[in-house]
Amino acid sequence: MIRHLFKLIWNQKKSNFLLITEIFFSFLVLFAVLSFIFYNYHNYTKPLGFKYDNVWQLWLNPNTDSSAHNLAVQQQLIQRVRSFPEVEYASLSNSNTPFAFSMMRNGLSYGGKKDVETNVFDVQDDYKNVLGMEVSQGRWFGPQDNGALHDPIVINKKLQEELFGDEPALGKLIRINDSTQYAVIGVVDYYRSYSEFDPEEAAYFHRINLDKNTNSIWNGLVIKVKPGAGVAFEEKMVRELSRIAKDWTIEVTTQEKMRQSKAKVTTVPMVALGLVCGFLVFNVALGLFGVLWYNINRRYAEIGLRRAIGASSKQIRNQFVGEVLVIATFGLLLGLVLAVQFPLLQVFQLSASIYWESIGAAAFLIFLLATICAVYPSYQASKIFPAVALHEE
Amino acid sequence: MIQLIDIEKVYRTKTIETVALNRVNLQVERGEFVSIMGPSGCGKSTLLNIMGLLDEPTAGYVAIDGQPVKTHSDSKLAKLRNEKIGFVFQSYHLIHDLSVVDNVELPLLYRNVSGGERRKRALEALEKVGLSARTKHFPSQLSGGQRQRVAIARALAGNPEIILADEPTGNLDSVMGDEIMDILLRLNQEEGTTIVMVTHDENMALKTNRLIRFFDGQQVADSRVLEAQI
Repeated sequence: MIRHLFKLIWNQKKSNFLLITEIFFSFLVLFAVLSFIFYNYHNYTKPLGFKYDNVWQLWLNPNTDSSAHNLAVQQQLIQRVRSFPEVEYASLSNSNTPFAFSMMRNGLSYGGKKDVETNVFDVQDDYKNVLGMEVSQGRWFGPQDNGALHDPIVINKKLQEELFGDEPALGKLIRINDSTQYAVIGVVDYYRSYSEFDPEEAAYFHRINLDKNTNSIWNGLVIKVKPGAGVAFEEKMVRELSRIAKDWTIEVTTQEKMRQSKAKVTTVPMVALGLVCGFLVFNVALGLFGVLWYNINRRYAEIGLRRAIGASSKQIRNQFVGEVLVIATFGLLLGLVLAVQFPLLQVFQLSASIYWESIGAAAFLIFLLATICAVYPSYQASKIFPAVALHEE
Repeated sequence: MIQLIDIEKVYRTKTIETVALNRVNLQVERGEFVSIMGPSGCGKSTLLNIMGLLDEPTAGYVAIDGQPVKTHSDSKLAKLRNEKIGFVFQSYHLIHDLSVVDNVELPLLYRNVSGGERRKRALEALEKVGLSARTKHFPSQLSGGQRQRVAIARALAGNPEIILADEPTGNLDSVMGDEIMDILLRLNQEEGTTIVMVTHDENMALKTNRLIRFFDGQQVADSRVLEAQI
C-alpha cells in the first residue's frame, strides 16, 4: 500500500508541486529555528561555573583623569565596601563581569598552538568567593602569589584543552611578551559568564595585585552580600561610597537583573522567530487542510470505487492520511538534501548533534502537522457511502 | 448465490419520500448471466448497489451464499466485496493517475497479496480482455472501449464469483459494446462467472440467460431469455 501511495503521489506530482514546495520551505525554516533553539538550550543546560545569587555589581567610573588620585580613591572604595557587615566578599574586576555587555580577549600561544582566542578576566583573590566558583585542579589566587616570579593565572578547562590538549596544565608557563610569562596555577571546569545561552569559551583569570598596580583603574566591583541585604543597604552603601569618591559615577545593580537583561538578548529573537515560524506552520497547516479537503471532494468517485472493490472505511481513512504523509515525505526529502549539509560540513561550527536533533525534530513536527491536518478530512472521506460516491461522476 | 428478500429502498428528504425498490424478491443462481432492464429511475442501479453491498436496503435483507449480510461489519462487507464481487460501471471509474496495470491491481491491494503476485494476476486479467499491449498506458490514452476493458480486467483480477455490471456498454458505440458483451459472455460461459448486468439495450439483454424487467421499483417480469424471444 505504501508503494501504491508513493506511486499515486508521484504521478500527481504536478498538482502536488506547490504543497511539496511549501513543506520543503517549512522544513528548512523549522530546521533553522530549531537549530537555534536547541543550540541555546544545550548551552543553557550546561553549568555556568559560578553562582549569581546575592551578587551585586557596582560600576565605579572616575570623571577625572588624575591617575594617582583615582588609584587612591579606588583603594579606599574597595576597603570601605569590604568593611560593610552586609558584604561577605568583594572583588575588583574589569567591566566584563558576569552577564555584562562587555568582553576582553587576548591571543595566547603555547608550543604549536598560536593565538588561541581567549577571554581575559582581571580579578582579585575574592572573586572566586564572590561567585562561589570551584577550582578543579591546583588552586585559586592568594597572598602567596604576591612575590611570584611569573604572573599567576587560573584557566578554564576549555582553554586547557585548546592550549595543552591532554597534557596537564598546572605549572605551564605561557609567554606573553619578552618580559612577561603567565604561570598556570589552577583550572576551573566551567566559566560561561557572558550569557546562560552562550557556549563555553576559552578563558583565563589574571590576578589584580593592587600593591603592584601603578596606573590601572578597574571599574567593575562585584560583591557578595548577605541574604536579606536590600534597597536600604544599597542606598547607604552608595551614599557612603559617593562621599569617598565625590567626582565618580557609581551605579549598582544585581547580577540577577543583569542575567535577565542578558537573557533577553537571546530569548527575544528566539520568541520572535518562534512566532514567525508558528505563523508559517499555521499557514502550511491551513494549506494542507484545504488541499486535502478539496482532494476528497474532487475524488468522491474514486473513494466510491475503492470502497466498491474492497476498501473498508478504515482503509480509506488511512489512505488519505497516508497520501498527506507521502507528500510531506517528498517535501522533507528535498529539505533533507540541504539540511544534512550542515552537520556534514560543520557549518557555523555548531555541534553536529544539534543539527541532527533539529533535523529529527523538524521532520517529526512536519509529520505531526501533516497527520493532524489529514485526520478530519480523511475521517470525512471514510464516512462517504460508496453508492452515493459512485453516483457522483 | 445471491438472494434478495423483501427488499425495499426508500429515499427520504424533508419533503419527499421516493420509493426506489418495493418488496423485491430475487434469487440469482451460480453461473447465471442475468440482465436487468427497465426505464430510467425504475430502481435498476439501486438494486445492483444493494446486491453489491454498496447500499443498504430500507427493509428486507440480502444473503450471499445463504448468509444474510445485514449484521456484517463495515470491514466484513468490504472483504466480501473484495473477494466475491467484481464491479463494472458505465463510466468505467478508472483512476486517472494510475497506469492501466496499476488500476487493474487495485482490488488486490486490499488483500494480503504480494507485489509480484498482484502484477502477475493483473497482467493475466489484461490478457483476458486483450489489453496486454497497453499495460503502461494511462486511462486518458485509451478509447472508451479500452477503458471499459480495463474496468473488466480490474473486476477479474480479484477472481470474483460474481460480476455486477451497471450499463457496461452504455457509453460505447455498438461495435465496442459488442466487444465488451463478448468478453462478459465468454467469462460467463468459459469460467462460470455469475454476472448480473443492468442495461438499456434489449439486444445485449437478449444475449444473457435471464432477463428481469423492472418498473417503478418493482419486478414486473422474470424470464429465461429463450422464452422472452418466443
